[in-house]
Amino acid sequence: MGTEGATPERRTTRSSSSLSKPSLDAPKPPLSTRPSLPNDLLFSDEPLSIDTLLSNFPGRGAQVLEILRLIGPPNSPMLPLLLHGGVSTGKTSVILQILHHINRPFVYTSCCSCHSPRILFESVLNQLFLHRKNPSNGYLSARRCERASDFINLLRDALSQVTGSPRGKKSKLDGNGEMIYLIFDNVELIRSWNKSSDILALLFRLFDILNIPEVGLIYISNAAPDAYYSMAGSVEPVGVYFPDYTVDDLFNIFMLRSPANRKLYSSFLSVVLKPFFRVTRRIDELATAFDPLFQKYCEPLADLNLVPDESMKRRLFVRLQPHLSASLNETFRVPSECSFEANKEGTCSKKGNIRKLSGRETSNELDFHMSVSAKYLLISAFLASRNPATLDAALFDSTGGSNNRKQKKKSSQAIMDQKDEMAEEMLLKGPGSFPLERLLAIFQCITSVGEGTLEEEQLEDGMVIESGNVGLMSDVLLQLSTLCNANFICKSGSCPLEGSTRYRSTVDEDMALKVARSINFPLSKYMYRR
Amino acid sequence: MPPSPISDLPTSSAAAASNDVDNNLQPFFVLHKALPRKSERKSSGFGTAKRKIDLPPSSLKSIEKSDVSSTEEASDWIYEQLRLEAFNRTWSKIDSTIKDVLRQINLNLFDEVQSWVLESFSKIKSIRPHKISEIQRPYPLVTDIICRKIPTALILTKNVEFVDDLLTFQELGGHLKSSGCHVAYLTSLDFSVKHGISGCLRSLLRQLVSEAPDMADISILASWYCEPENCDNPVLVIIDDSERCCGAVLADFITMLSEWVIKIPIIFIMGVATTFDAPRRLLPSDAQQHLHPCKFTLGSPCEKMNALIESVLVKSCSGFSIGHKVAAFLRNYFLRHDGTFTSFVRALKLACVKHFEMEPLSFLGLDILDEDSEIFQQGQCDSLPDSLRNHAFNLPSCQREKILKGTGGSLVHGLTELRRLQKCWSSVVMCLFEVGKRKNMQLLDIFCEAIDPTLYNLRALDHNLQLSSLIGRNLIEGKSSSAKGGFIAQAIQQVRELPAASLSHLLNIWGVHTGEMNEIQDRVRELQSIISSGGGGLIFKEKCTDIHKRSRSLSAGKGTLSVNDKAAMLLDGMVRKFLMPIECVPFHEIVCFKHVDVLQSALIGDPRRTIQVDLLKSPTYLQCCCCSRGGNALSSSMHDTSIMYSLAQEYGDVINLHDWYQSFKATVLSASTKTKCKLQHSPASKKVKATPSESEATIQARFCRAVTELQIAGLLRMPSKRRPDFVQRVAFGL
Repeated sequence: MGTEGATPERRTTRSSSSLSKPSLDAPKPPLSTRPSLPNDLLFSDEPLSIDTLLSNFPGRGAQVLEILRLIGPPNSPMLPLLLHGGVSTGKTSVILQILHHINRPFVYTSCCSCHSPRILFESVLNQLFLHRKNPSNGYLSARRCERASDFINLLRDALSQVTGSPRGKKSKLDGNGEMIYLIFDNVELIRSWNKSSDILALLFRLFDILNIPEVGLIYISNAAPDAYYSMAGSVEPVGVYFPDYTVDDLFNIFMLRSPANRKLYSSFLSVVLKPFFRVTRRIDELATAFDPLFQKYCEPLADLNLVPDESMKRRLFVRLQPHLSASLNETFRVPSECSFEANKEGTCSKKGNIRKLSGRETSNELDFHMSVSAKYLLISAFLASRNPATLDAALFDSTGGSNNRKQKKKSSQAIMDQKDEMAEEMLLKGPGSFPLERLLAIFQCITSVGEGTLEEEQLEDGMVIESGNVGLMSDVLLQLSTLCNANFICKSGSCPLEGSTRYRSTVDEDMALKVARSINFPLSKYMYRR
Repeated sequence: MPPSPISDLPTSSAAAASNDVDNNLQPFFVLHKALPRKSERKSSGFGTAKRKIDLPPSSLKSIEKSDVSSTEEASDWIYEQLRLEAFNRTWSKIDSTIKDVLRQINLNLFDEVQSWVLESFSKIKSIRPHKISEIQRPYPLVTDIICRKIPTALILTKNVEFVDDLLTFQELGGHLKSSGCHVAYLTSLDFSVKHGISGCLRSLLRQLVSEAPDMADISILASWYCEPENCDNPVLVIIDDSERCCGAVLADFITMLSEWVIKIPIIFIMGVATTFDAPRRLLPSDAQQHLHPCKFTLGSPCEKMNALIESVLVKSCSGFSIGHKVAAFLRNYFLRHDGTFTSFVRALKLACVKHFEMEPLSFLGLDILDEDSEIFQQGQCDSLPDSLRNHAFNLPSCQREKILKGTGGSLVHGLTELRRLQKCWSSVVMCLFEVGKRKNMQLLDIFCEAIDPTLYNLRALDHNLQLSSLIGRNLIEGKSSSAKGGFIAQAIQQVRELPAASLSHLLNIWGVHTGEMNEIQDRVRELQSIISSGGGGLIFKEKCTDIHKRSRSLSAGKGTLSVNDKAAMLLDGMVRKFLMPIECVPFHEIVCFKHVDVLQSALIGDPRRTIQVDLLKSPTYLQCCCCSRGGNALSSSMHDTSIMYSLAQEYGDVINLHDWYQSFKATVLSASTKTKCKLQHSPASKKVKATPSESEATIQARFCRAVTELQIAGLLRMPSKRRPDFVQRVAFGL
């Protein structure tokens, strides 16, 4: 620490020739008068003991010890580390807690938050320069740094400043020199950036490029190490693999974060963990699924502190089981038990009762508003995507495709098989795409069919249809864009002037049927089934 | 119809109209390549020539008339101003009513969202480190996994179209801002593939951090949030049309924010147009993991529409209402074509504009609902010039009723009567709607039926028949033959089926609605007292089980009527007696807009047809002397595109480019030689004709440009690779 006060002068004299840093430093007095440098790069509270560290990470003991061994004592250089393993296997928290334990300075950057090279570079430099963005400096970074070469230069400067060893001189680790660690999290995301290979090469060769023994490099990645070793000649990082948790690990982890009544929670876990373990091993996914389930589990209990016995466990399990299977199939839960919705739900169910009394409404009706012509358009898009184009003429002729089906029944087994295959292939391919003209043609056909029924209805009401078919056509393109915006139809292709854009309907059959039901359109009649 | 509305336009407005026509023609001045030198001379005589052509002959007459009496012209001008003012006042009244209604509908939801926001914020706050320096650390805080979720309010807008709710989200933002939250609006434009994640981050930073540098760095937001004045409030990110966003970018955004969610308490508010599982379709499951959704529902368009109809058209707050055909058209437009509240309001406004433009007496409607202004109205009516007064008594509704004494007093009387009838009508409609609500009926439907004059006449006829034949039972059994299956009949039937509790509730509401109709009020009270006394008690005991059957057996057996039947008969009576559509009242034309065709053409328009007509008939618009003589013949002075399109009419659905070019060239050249010949006679223009013969290249260039213009106008399609020599016609006929 004592040497720190002297470093800035030493640095400025050395580097004033290369960069205009002194002038940059001058207006920022806080930078030069910091009391103790690396403290900002440490965890602020007391270091963890090795016991708490190990007990915090059940199932990760081996990895923790391995990393501790690789990092070594404070004054020994280390090879770069690559922690890899699946999502939510504790890579980031393990390394952060280890650094908390050994209480050494480090710099952390996540390539998720830093989504471009410049932000990544500047984030590293800001931490090293102990720079804080605030309104007085206009939220600017300490240094502007866009190019990799600038980054290396600035990084050298900053590191030499922090570690206290003069730049360029090979320092011997003699116990005074402190290690500093650079952690790069989510390295796999870099692969989707522009010029990703350059950045990746730079990051993985930092050890060779910097050649400062006081710097430890730690990479964290979801992808296996093979994904990065395209560059030869540099020192390969030492891999530490974080395997997926086992059931017992998960049990221990969830017991760690368990609420007050441990006995109850452990009985709950013994019920839910096994089935869910088969679906996912990610802690975050499991935690999301478990929390509402545990609430359900506890619901019948008056006293949350009581210790469950066998018979009670069984009863609780029976109660939970239906929720369990439902929740296994759910990936995105929109809670309806939210308190604000409660009163609304009440009125809804009341309405539902009335509906049942009147006996008209079906439960699976469309629950949002859409104009009738948009509904027709949606149906025609669905048909265009689903039916092969060659069948259009047969389906939409005057007979409505009824005699078509009879023909098919007569066909031989071989043709049937062929058609099976074709249907399977269609299923694999997903909804087909279609040009606008085909969509409009089908639209015209089905509206002329649908119009008939509508007209009857309207006549009963004593209403006059103002513009009939033509009226329905009038703003069809507008409706089409609406449907595109609502993600019911997606667009592919380009040039809007040419009209060569192709569309594809993305609604599923349930939805299409719902829509068809709401306008009394016989959709199943027009659907091509084998 | 007596004189057409246009012919009644005062002269000054005729002049204004011709000015408008001038303005409308502007693009043609630009497009048209008139012969040099002649244009100046032409433009001087242009206005008069056109006015003569554009105005219908009847207005010419009125011009002549106005020449005779200039005083009348002055008063016309005054009345036009009066109408303009009346329109402004009427529409501002309607507009503010609509806004109030919408705000009222949304207010509850806003409060719900607000309390949810505060609750989520306090949840985040409870686990957040208190030291600010901790927040600014770049590494993630080691905390429970469940806390890394972003609270997300999914607000279902219940309408595929989005325009209606743009304002709602702005207001919601304003509402939350007033409670101290930091609010940023992001739209789908910010989440585009092109700009990626930096686009939305930049927009977020720009809105929150005033002096932010142009860097899409989330750590800037963290530092900003650490400022003492910012750190006590949540950051709300409102994405109003989340479904239009590019899913990948939105997912990146969510993943990134989730790393910071404890340090910066970000809360999402997303508008969802379709179903609540839209995020599931849009986002990959990784990003879904980071959302902690909660569902809210905005008022559906139908709810909003009910409120609007009630406040604007039924409890008519202004001197403007619509006739049955217009109502049916608007209903059709709303249900079948557009389905947005916004376009409905726009259509209503257009109807209002047209009404005040077409109806000379419409200014009288402004104060029609204000009882205090009767004296003022009296004065207004007395001072009407003869022409207007005659117009009032020539209105078809007046002729029908044979009101022939044409004094201002009777006009005022007629208007007062109109007001009274209208009030009764609206109370009955509201009573019907109260019943219909329980059966999920929409006010728009009931309104359309209630305003239908033919149905009213049918009902009246029916009533007379029934009286004569004294078939009371028909009525009791609910088989009244009028308007079978109509909404009103359904509503009356509904009354019979109501359980007693809701019936007494219904009667209370009826009591409120019929406040000014004494006789009805009395009968409602009578029914209420029956319910509260013995008869009602009996029904209460039965616990609403199958009231309908019981009442029927009662009425059949003992000949006494249950309360339900009495209520139904009361409603039926009200419908017969008071549900008089506005179109059956004399002088209704003053406040009621009936011209559905005018509205339709103003609303829908037909841009492509207009383009075609303009291209084909440009000489008739331009009235230039060079093209006018030959009728439909082409001349070179026409615009290239116009020539090309006229030539294209001779082809089928494909046009051979070569032939087309040849005929184009022929037209241009032949005419130019002709003009050249002609020009040689006049020595002055010899100088101006700088380029004597156009080169092949110029003509080709003109040809290409014209083809492109036609393509851009959407009238043809460019040659495909398979048939490079042919273009395809896209628009046929007019």
